[in-house]
Amino acid sequence: MTGSLDAFARRYGLADLTPAEQALLSRMADRVLAQAATIPRMASKSDEPAPLFRLPSPSRAARP
Amino acid sequence: MSGTPLHHLTVAEAGRRIAAGALSPVALVDAFLARIDAVDPRIHSYITVTADRARAAARTAESELAAGRRRGPLHGIPFAVKDNYHVAGVPTTAASRLMLDHVPDVTATAVARLEQAGAILLGKLNTWELGTGSGMVTDDLPFPIARNPWDTDRLTGGSSTGPGAGVAAGTAMFALGSDTGGSIRLPAAACGVAGLKPTYGRVSRAGCLPNCWSLDHNGPLTWTAEDAALVLRVIAGEDPADPASADAAVPDYGAHLPVGVAGLVLGVVRDFGADGAALDPRQALAFEAMAAVLRDQGATLREVRLPAGLTAYRHASRVINWGESFSIHERDFLERRHLMGESLREKMMCGFLLRAADFIAAQRQRRHLAEATDAVMQSCDALLLPGAFHVAPRLDEPDTIPAYTLDNACSVFNLTGHPAISVCTGFVDELPLSAQVAGRWFDEAMVLRVAHAYERATPWRDRRPEP
Repeated sequence: MTGSLDAFARRYGLADLTPAEQALLSRMADRVLAQAATIPRMASKSDEPAPLFRLPSPSRAARP
Repeated sequence: MSGTPLHHLTVAEAGRRIAAGALSPVALVDAFLARIDAVDPRIHSYITVTADRARAAARTAESELAAGRRRGPLHGIPFAVKDNYHVAGVPTTAASRLMLDHVPDVTATAVARLEQAGAILLGKLNTWELGTGSGMVTDDLPFPIARNPWDTDRLTGGSSTGPGAGVAAGTAMFALGSDTGGSIRLPAAACGVAGLKPTYGRVSRAGCLPNCWSLDHNGPLTWTAEDAALVLRVIAGEDPADPASADAAVPDYGAHLPVGVAGLVLGVVRDFGADGAALDPRQALAFEAMAAVLRDQGATLREVRLPAGLTAYRHASRVINWGESFSIHERDFLERRHLMGESLREKMMCGFLLRAADFIAAQRQRRHLAEATDAVMQSCDALLLPGAFHVAPRLDEPDTIPAYTLDNACSVFNLTGHPAISVCTGFVDELPLSAQVAGRWFDEAMVLRVAHAYERATPWRDRRPEP
């Protein structure tokens, strides 16, 4: 595992990785990078993400 | 039908017999418990069987029915749920060593609605760990994997492995599963049953362990589309306990079934571009035959294309799944990852490494794909398309297993939220073939109507496995 990946893992709570886990994390880092590169970027800054948060409908919000 | 063993009755037929006083819920539950004893040592559809609880509920149902207090078509009908649905007082393990001691004090809304309707819980069904994996690595989980009743040397599909195996083998008359990227429809396809992923928000997820909040859908696995209609009518509907629950009217799905498909316009998706090369030619042939059956019943077939290749849907789904799933299991990953199976641990590492900008980009892509896919859906009454691209692979050929989970057209509708059902389209080498019917948002009635028309016109529902 590269030093920078090791430092990232430690910083975010993975301080006790075994050598096998370090190797797995390194492989997964390559996989995540490659997968993320397949996601196109929207041309417009106004293209919003699919909604994860939406206010309830007025009828539901008004319920006691 | 009169000679059909009780464990192979459909929900609809059993309900009719119970209503007529010709079938005792106690006898029906005993028949299923005997069936579980007889075949489950070979197929491992269950993690927990709640026999005493089921017998007590059956006696109550029998008393109520005798007193003329019938609750509806599911009164006295035995069912089971994937072991990620909570039932108060019954362990929920999700086939994970993280949860072996977990006994919830709440019951999932969908289960509660079924029990309120008089259905009788038989137990908790097998799954891949917390709904995760490809089926390639499962020998590191705490329970034996479920096996396909058509050939116990083969995969059930997943992650709702027990629901698929159980409904096919007759260890459950119907089951509830959950579907984040095909996990109801893929086991339904592999095991030759009907698996319905309803519209996002149609069925409450409250009390069911989350896998990926925005892609998780709960729904039924049944022997027929008619049975799915009966179950959906009970479990669908708004639930304030689920933030994604939709405030949408629940129709009488069964009332729409006899209408048939004459006059409908069915979009047929044949062209998947380069992704289509993975489709087993035997699945493709059965799919063409399915379209022809529906055309012969008066439907108009219209060739349509999805607005993007399957890989576009899969890539966005995978990134969203990594991000949300890691958020769900972060603490367990940091503190107890040694208890996780390999598949879950790998997914957690991907989520740990994922950048927020990439996650949000996937959600932006999702909106684009959902709207573009809905435009196609609006051009017809329902879509016909393959679901699983392969037949169930052999468990002793592990290199072929990931393809079953990865090569499919199921995750499209987890990303877009449209309803879709997997139906059996025949058999090859004694193994089920399958295809999907998908519909407009909240139009499960149309999806079930098309699926029912197809099932009525074909002999595939007359054949059962004997594991």
